[in-house]
Amino acid sequence: MKGDIVESVVEYLAKEIVEDAEAVEVTIIEEGPDEVVAEVRAAKRDMGRVIGRRGRVARAIRAVAQAAAEEEGLDAGVEFID
Amino acid sequence: MEWVEVRGKTVEVAVAAALQELGIESVEHAEVEVIQEPEKGFLGFGGQGAVVRVKQKPRSSRRRRSRRGGRSGKSSSSSEVSSGSGRSGGSQKGGSGGGSQSGSKGTSSSEKRSGPKPAGGGREGSKSSGSSKNSRSGGSQSRSSGGRSGGTPPSREKDQTKTREGAKVAEDVDIDQQREIVHEFLDGLVGAFGLEGTVVSSVDGDVIIADVTGEQTEALVGEKGSVLQAILELTRTVVQRKSQAGARIRLDIAGYNARRREALTIYARRLADKVVEEGGEVMLEPMNAAERKVVHDAVVEIEGVRTFSEGEDPYRSVIIASE
Repeated sequence: MKGDIVESVVEYLAKEIVEDAEAVEVTIIEEGPDEVVAEVRAAKRDMGRVIGRRGRVARAIRAVAQAAAEEEGLDAGVEFID
Repeated sequence: MEWVEVRGKTVEVAVAAALQELGIESVEHAEVEVIQEPEKGFLGFGGQGAVVRVKQKPRSSRRRRSRRGGRSGKSSSSSEVSSGSGRSGGSQKGGSGGGSQSGSKGTSSSEKRSGPKPAGGGREGSKSSGSSKNSRSGGSQSRSSGGRSGGTPPSREKDQTKTREGAKVAEDVDIDQQREIVHEFLDGLVGAFGLEGTVVSSVDGDVIIADVTGEQTEALVGEKGSVLQAILELTRTVVQRKSQAGARIRLDIAGYNARRREALTIYARRLADKVVEEGGEVMLEPMNAAERKVVHDAVVEIEGVRTFSEGEDPYRSVIIASE
């Protein structure tokens, strides 16, 4: 399915970074024919970890998610949902 | 005196480069450990096969020394090298090649795994290159990883760590634990991408070196290495979370940084050729240890010049001098 690689990559990264891996949820939303958005939910206390200081971790996750999307010929965004 | 860990085309080349980096004149004054025998193309880049670890032989007791004290393989490790270099260079110490083969497996602190795997999936099976399940227990660094990888409880080793030598040992064990985290994280990431790739990791002094190779892993490099950089950032984050520590990590993917190092090699050789022709010496700009090693390795085979380093980090520089 569209965005499968993005989903697996973002989910993997998020779970590696948080303390409470069980609470991580990634939903892929199709934004257009060539674009998906990965919505990331995690335990409240883990959101800071996933985003990182000044959003460094979030930015890195977005870069890697985009690389994953390109494997499928897509663009990908990542949104962190509180 | 610090250990240096050097890669080279052959064990002999690597040892020579390490001796130069340390300023040791003869291998007789060094303790050498073969971390890895040369393997063809495992980095996908011009035969960087052998990895050795060298330090000056202690003249008096040093604090680092007792750390090695528990290892039974200590005395045999120097013979590993002579047989290792004997194989590639034909030295007089023949006849122990077989020993070196199994010995190097035993002291290996590197791991290789092929292919993508689901995160956390059965890992034990794929890494058993040695004959016994404790094949990695020969090296000082594998103590921690043995404990981490599941089966054996680490408590006994942890206790030893605490009672013996305190912080120094703990630090060394710790870095291998971090290496293991790095390795597994990258392995899992390649798997999450569904790519075919191999992760090779090792520890060089206080730096964790990780190489992700495989044709498809080019996708993990990105424009001007931007994705590689992001992955490095995430790797650091994961190590920090899982170990509360942060050793330096050198990451390469699909040989991207290796190609950049190749440019440095060409540059260094060009300078060395010039020194051969014109005599004198040339001091290169300050470089980090990894880059200096590239220069040493590049020039070591050129007759008529030698290299050494001067100054203190971060301003330590390699000098190429005529002999």
